[in-house]
Amino acid sequence: MKHTLDVLAVGLGILLAATPVAAQHSFSATYDFDRQVKLEGPVTRIDWVNPHAFFFINVRDAGGTITNWAVEFGNPFDLEKDGWKRNTLHIGDVVGVEGIPARGPARQAFAKSVVLKPGGKRLFAAPARRASTPAAAPAPRWPNGHVRLGPPPGKKGYWGAASVKALVENTAVKIPMNDDGLLLNIADADNVAPFKPWAKAVYEQRQRSLLKDDPFARCLPPGGPRQFHTPYGFQFVEQPELGRILVLLGGGDRNWRVIYTDGRPVGQAAELVLSYYGTSVGRWEGDTLVVESVGFNERFWMTNGGLPHTEALHLTERFSRPDFNTLKYEVTVDDPRTYTRPWSGGWAIKWVPDEEIQEYFCEDNAESTFIR
Amino acid sequence: MRRRAFHLACFWACLGVVVSGLAQEGHPLTGTWTGDWGPTATQRDHLTFVMNWDGEKITGTINPGLDSIPIASVFVDVTNWTVRIEADTKDQSGKPLHIAAEGRVDDIGSYHRTITGTWRQGATNGDFKVTRD
Repeated sequence: MKHTLDVLAVGLGILLAATPVAAQHSFSATYDFDRQVKLEGPVTRIDWVNPHAFFFINVRDAGGTITNWAVEFGNPFDLEKDGWKRNTLHIGDVVGVEGIPARGPARQAFAKSVVLKPGGKRLFAAPARRASTPAAAPAPRWPNGHVRLGPPPGKKGYWGAASVKALVENTAVKIPMNDDGLLLNIADADNVAPFKPWAKAVYEQRQRSLLKDDPFARCLPPGGPRQFHTPYGFQFVEQPELGRILVLLGGGDRNWRVIYTDGRPVGQAAELVLSYYGTSVGRWEGDTLVVESVGFNERFWMTNGGLPHTEALHLTERFSRPDFNTLKYEVTVDDPRTYTRPWSGGWAIKWVPDEEIQEYFCEDNAESTFIR
Repeated sequence: MRRRAFHLACFWACLGVVVSGLAQEGHPLTGTWTGDWGPTATQRDHLTFVMNWDGEKITGTINPGLDSIPIASVFVDVTNWTVRIEADTKDQSGKPLHIAAEGRVDDIGSYHRTITGTWRQGATNGDFKVTRD
């Protein structure tokens, strides 16, 4: 039992630290941070699924009525790394939960702590898991001298967390926002990007509605710069013999993007089948991979926080690897139907050594997160 | 022939299901809108708008097809998402007929957002409602 309690404590510490990052859905739209909920009852079901594990408990109210609650408690792979197992919690265990309730009438909560009963031993949040700091080293290179965007031969690894949570213009002052890209002060919208009036109105509407209409939360792909913001990172698979680079995404609905490096022209958006990732053509300028992309559909939000775009979107992305552990990402957004001028932003991304991206299917939570 | 017609019907039905599930997250007015207008609740005429934002203005067509009416102007106030649509056509006798619709876009976060408001066609006043396909 003590082992179980310890494991629960460690795991809950992790989920507390990782909560916003792990949110496939808009955490802000799903949960009401201004309220707390305490629940107690026997576990009736455990969904040990990606992207978020759930357990369910029967809660008896003062009048004796029993209702079933869904309790979300983190990503299974993160939990496993820190000692949770599928059988750490059992159906029939009686637990006490303190958490953040869902907005509205849904009987759902995000666990901040779980106490195993009887005994009443309180489980406290452990310190956040510290990512190991990989040794400093120069960027690996291919025999032809190009920088490798992936691991060197015989090694594993992928690109993990971004240094910022949403795309904003470089010249912008520091804009406070949460991990979903939700501005703490809506008046800061003017500093995010050079919006045309309709686009600013749409952006503000998305912000005011707490991002509840986010297509990513409906498991649609994170096109544009947002693909480098998704939880659980991404991986480059360079295939020079095929004239392409694949970008494998660790989050979202686990899809991929193709960057052609075979010298083909960029093409005209009007001639392309419009898609979530557009049509991308890359070339090397020194140690920087420059990628031009057009042909985007309008069915996604291109960044956390809900920046709009149209089919006229043209992205110029620059990827460089100043050292082994750092990827520098810069993007210029040119969409004259949405923004008054081209503008740029970017961030740094850290290397996660010796690991690989894991299976992660957004759709797996459809069963767990229905309105209860 | 009946079998082919059945397959065609199935195809269009399936296409309808697929299309209705695709969101459009660009300019809120861009797209195809379907509904009706009329002077009373029982006297209604079908309406289809097709509108597109080109970066400077919204262009479009009412009831695309052989009797389509080009939209002359669309004004949108993005502070409250009210919209005014004007168009010119001819009545059955060939006399000029002006169309002026004023409405409000509701639920712009939804891909099935709506525009509701008043519709004036020549001397006839009525109301209209269209839903984005």
